[in-house]
Amino acid sequence: MNGMIYAIIGVSIATLFSGIGSARGVGSAAQTSMGVLSEDSSMFGKMLVLTLLPGTQGLYGFIVGFLILINCGVLGGTMPTIGQGLAYLGASLAIGFGGMFSAFAQGKAAVSGITMTAKDEKNFSKAMVSVTLVEIYALLAFIVSLLLVISVPGLNI
Amino acid sequence: MKSVRIIALKQDRKRLLEHLQDSALLEVAAAEKVEEGFERLDTSAQLRQFERNVELTENALRILAEVAPEKKGMLDSLRGRREIDPDEIGVIASNSAKIIAICQKIQALQKTRADCAAETVRIRTSLSQLQPWKKLDIPLNTGDTETTAVLIGSLPKLYDEISLSEAIAAEAPELIFDYEILYASGSMTCIVLYAPKKQKAAAAAALRSLGFSQPLNPTRRTPRAKCEQLEEQNREMTEKADAAKEELASYAQYRGAICDTQDYFTLRAEKYKVLSSLDQSKNVFVLNGFIPEEDCPKLEKLCEKIPSSVIEYEDAPEDAPVKLKNNRFSEPAQSIVSMYSTPSREDIDPTPLLAFFFYFFFGMMFSDAGYGLLLIIGTIIAQKIFKPDHRMRSNLKLFEYCGVATVFWGLIFGSIFGDAPAMFYKLFTGNEITMKELLPWPILDTQKDALMIMILSIAFGLVHILVGMGCKFWVCLKQKRYGEAFFDTGLWMLMLIGFAVLAAGMALGGVLAKIGIAIVIFCAAGLILTQGRAKKGIVGKAVGGLASLYDITSYMSDLLSYSRLLALGLTTGVMAQVFNMLSTLLGTGVAGIVFMIVIFIVGHLITIALNALGAYVHTMRLQYVEMFSKFYEGGGKAFEPFSLNSKYFKVKNSNDD
Repeated sequence: MNGMIYAIIGVSIATLFSGIGSARGVGSAAQTSMGVLSEDSSMFGKMLVLTLLPGTQGLYGFIVGFLILINCGVLGGTMPTIGQGLAYLGASLAIGFGGMFSAFAQGKAAVSGITMTAKDEKNFSKAMVSVTLVEIYALLAFIVSLLLVISVPGLNI
Repeated sequence: MKSVRIIALKQDRKRLLEHLQDSALLEVAAAEKVEEGFERLDTSAQLRQFERNVELTENALRILAEVAPEKKGMLDSLRGRREIDPDEIGVIASNSAKIIAICQKIQALQKTRADCAAETVRIRTSLSQLQPWKKLDIPLNTGDTETTAVLIGSLPKLYDEISLSEAIAAEAPELIFDYEILYASGSMTCIVLYAPKKQKAAAAAALRSLGFSQPLNPTRRTPRAKCEQLEEQNREMTEKADAAKEELASYAQYRGAICDTQDYFTLRAEKYKVLSSLDQSKNVFVLNGFIPEEDCPKLEKLCEKIPSSVIEYEDAPEDAPVKLKNNRFSEPAQSIVSMYSTPSREDIDPTPLLAFFFYFFFGMMFSDAGYGLLLIIGTIIAQKIFKPDHRMRSNLKLFEYCGVATVFWGLIFGSIFGDAPAMFYKLFTGNEITMKELLPWPILDTQKDALMIMILSIAFGLVHILVGMGCKFWVCLKQKRYGEAFFDTGLWMLMLIGFAVLAAGMALGGVLAKIGIAIVIFCAAGLILTQGRAKKGIVGKAVGGLASLYDITSYMSDLLSYSRLLALGLTTGVMAQVFNMLSTLLGTGVAGIVFMIVIFIVGHLITIALNALGAYVHTMRLQYVEMFSKFYEGGGKAFEPFSLNSKYFKVKNSNDD
């Protein structure tokens, strides 16, 4: 037996949980922005940007998952040992959960940003900046996951 | 900034104001009190008229945009104002009455459309109320005949022929009756019931106990005829609305003229606002305002054209507006400073420092030579094609310079569309190669040398923060607040340098570490001794001094915040690489190549959009939160010159900036 099964669970965790977070974040932002668009469809561009901001976590999760797949023998690379498989699993936790919860929070911020922009379009840049501030925590989780995944093939465990 | 006062003969008033508005040299500010012998002109009536006209044209444009939308490209918002000859303003002025009449017509037509829409809704409601009675071939208000009572109405329950007969019979066993069910659906049954006239009371009582109610608006016509009449009315309304809409659309050709007229009235309103702030006597008028010092000669030259005018300068008061003056390199970053706050007169203008760090950090976060090149080319093309206005142009310039920094950092990190060159090399030759081997210069690999880049990021952060604190030091020195300069700022700066030396010493070994420790201990002692100086009593002073050491946590968190330089740079590189990898999945067949091109373009567009936004926002955050908090007060008033402040046209040769 090798660590493939753990690596695969890791791929799923990274993609699944960050995906859940982004789906919910983008979903609630999209709901609000459609309410705004029903009143004034000319704001579509601005609404789109604010709506998509909580969507990056899912992408980060996907990237981590994809890199694990590439490293662990499914799309190339070498078969991981049990230790390495568990390491992949551990690496995926950061972006999985960090991504999910930060996407929830960013979704809420995006909803507020959208209502703020709806009141006065001049607020758009402020809303965008404030919503993007949440992003850094997803980014940090992503970096940790990423550095771990990159270094696992060299680990002798 | 200088206070300026221009005195001239009244006969030159119009000419002088026009020159001033064209040249945009000074900001007009009325003096607080009117001097004796002078008075101010009340222009509020004209002003209101102009503002009403501006509003009217705005409204007309909005209506036209709704009825006959203008085709606009996504990039059209970059386009600058239309350039016109100075003579053309006269033409616009002479046409303005006609255009205003057209705007009024447009508004009236829109009102017609709104009325028609309201009427249509009313007709539809009546129609839907009549719907159940359509089968009835006598009018709804038909009365009794000589022998027969006729009762028309609805019951709030669903009946069929049998159940209704039973229900009525149960209520009034003796009643002789006949009825038709006209409509039965949901919880309503519409009926017409006939009964002998002498039993009318009994029939009515029986029906009443079943919840019978008569129709709301009985009419003399049969329901069918009424429906037809209403539908006819509906058609008429629709036609009327369509005609109004068509006529509105025919006015779309005046859109340009309406825009010009709006600008014309905006400019006149501006001029009249200035007019009302002039102090005027019988023959002379006085204009007060502010002018940047370097523009004084220009103003003098301008006033030479008007021989009667005299200029006086004075030092500007504390609350005078502030105009930022920067060279070509740092000027685009002014908008970033203004977005935070205009500097007050005590502040030093942070724009040059901010500009350098902004470009530098943006480049480090976006960090891809390919993307940087796209940014440069895109912004240059946009500037050439659209000839944007000053504000938009300087925004484009900002990203052009950021693009240069991005290329620089991309080359250092060895990232050109991620690892695209290496990927293509591998795809077509089959040989593995890394960017490190491919590029002739030594590179820092964001993934393998992450720790090195992290240290670099924090070192840059230290420099950034020290520069911010240096500004504070300088400002305090200038204002002779020596305690604040040396104790509050200087000691901390030295302390941070001490920590840096200590860290370097720990990494490299040797005597550096000891020097670092010495500096840190010296500074800490200094802080304990000096930071409680505002407090009373020995205990208070000691506690205040010790407590101030706690600030070290805020400096540490500030420094660690710069790790985002690494984080965003790494993200750009990795995302680009992943998309490169995805694009090669199907190999080099025809389908594979097509797939590769599509994924490559889409993937890199996503990466650019996400990371450019991230780099922009997080660079700004580093400036605002980490650097500005160290020294920048802000709260100044921006200089807003009396100028041709128009939206749609600009006069050739006029000073736009």
